[in-house]
Amino acid sequence: MNKVIIINLNGNAYQLEEDGYDALRAYLDSAGRRLEGNPDRDEIIADIEQAIADKFRALLGANKTVILAKEVAGVIAEMGPVENGSGDGTQGSAAADPKAAGLDPGAAEGGSAGDARRLFKIRDRAMLFGVCNGLANHLNIDVIIVRLAFLFLTCFYGFGLLLYLVLAVVIPFANTAQEKAAASGPSPTAQEFIRRAREGYYEGMKTFGDRRAYRQWRRKFKQEMRGWRQDMRREWHQNTQQWAVNWRMNWAPNPAFGSWFLFPILSLLSIVVGLLWIWAIFTVVTAGTVFGIGLPANVPVWFAVILLVLVYQVVRWPLKLMRHSVYFGGHPGLYFSPFVHLWNALIWIVFMLFLAWLAARHPVWVHDTLQALPHQIHEAVHAVKGWWDRQ
Amino acid sequence: MSNINEKFTPIRKGLLEFLVLKIVSADKVYAADILNELAGTEFATQEGTLYPLLSKMRREELVDYEWKESEAGPPRKYYKLTSKGREQLGETLDYWQKISATVKSLGQRQG
Repeated sequence: MNKVIIINLNGNAYQLEEDGYDALRAYLDSAGRRLEGNPDRDEIIADIEQAIADKFRALLGANKTVILAKEVAGVIAEMGPVENGSGDGTQGSAAADPKAAGLDPGAAEGGSAGDARRLFKIRDRAMLFGVCNGLANHLNIDVIIVRLAFLFLTCFYGFGLLLYLVLAVVIPFANTAQEKAAASGPSPTAQEFIRRAREGYYEGMKTFGDRRAYRQWRRKFKQEMRGWRQDMRREWHQNTQQWAVNWRMNWAPNPAFGSWFLFPILSLLSIVVGLLWIWAIFTVVTAGTVFGIGLPANVPVWFAVILLVLVYQVVRWPLKLMRHSVYFGGHPGLYFSPFVHLWNALIWIVFMLFLAWLAARHPVWVHDTLQALPHQIHEAVHAVKGWWDRQ
Repeated sequence: MSNINEKFTPIRKGLLEFLVLKIVSADKVYAADILNELAGTEFATQEGTLYPLLSKMRREELVDYEWKESEAGPPRKYYKLTSKGREQLGETLDYWQKISATVKSLGQRQG
């Protein structure tokens, strides 16, 4: 008898033997480590999990619900080692499997070198998002100076604030230890520049008075500077590429089919709902009525406002969701973070509780309203029809 | 034979991206289709290699994907070429023709 562990692969549950679970965990961990620094790491891992899930599904049947350890091992062998292509460390394991021998994807440029210094947001002792902190660390200057610079830039039509927000969006947080290490200290390219410049300067001083030596020094110095510029450009390119990926992953629109007319309609609906809501709040506060219906005597105004806020959230939620999905066309973006789900669930629960409370408190009124509802809908349809016929 | 196999490892490595471009160009394909098509050939590869490669190619804007429902299971990513990818494929094909012509013509006595 073996212990079974239930796992979740991209949203589907699978039951594995414990040994199989350990093997799979080790495989995915090593894949994660190998893709360290790859901007698409999470996406690749998700793809791999999905592929494993597909293979597991093919193994299971009506009478078979548990995946055995040896089957997990087989699937892992089929998947092959995950190769980032930037290191030589993958060669050994790749050679172990004759089928995949040496077929390295060659993502050499994409998988940025592990020790490269990159710009990150740093949370420790950050004031807002840690953009200034990260910049200060990257450029090796005091954070106060960076903050003052942003404040100064803000004086020009708020440019500093805008820049800050944009940077806050595109620069990733330093989360892992490796990223934190990459975030602190100046970039080696910059350090190298300072070293070379200083050395070159002193050497240049030595040649003072000797024209030929001076000319030679100048040529060498220029050459070095050119090399440095190339390094700098490459580093900059790496940084910006990472930012572009972050932008695409989390914020950039990716319109779905039909978005050109769906999006304006949904936006308009949202605005209408919003205006109605503001009107309702206004009338509740000033006249104690909502769309002409008076509040029951025992409901205080503040409670009505809270209820309105809740109702508004509930009404708006599907609209928001639809708009978002049209805008982002399939890829989830930030909206579907666990926090949002929690919040939506909370609103729904409170709304349902409110409905239950209403039904319990005014059973007759609720009953009558529900009874009258078909009739009222009928009347409304009639009214619209009559209006249409008159046109 | 295995000796030749080993000697050609770096070449196969380099050609894999080209072949993936070529396979993707035929139609919208799913990652498993790519693996299946390569499976019978000298270029047989595995998910562990293919996914990082595809993501790199997508980052270089050679391919793009869209989510599509599948008959069984969750939606899948279907890959297709971008215009840049198509361009690159064309260039690579031309270059490949040249190489293959060179290989043929070298060492052969003329006339």
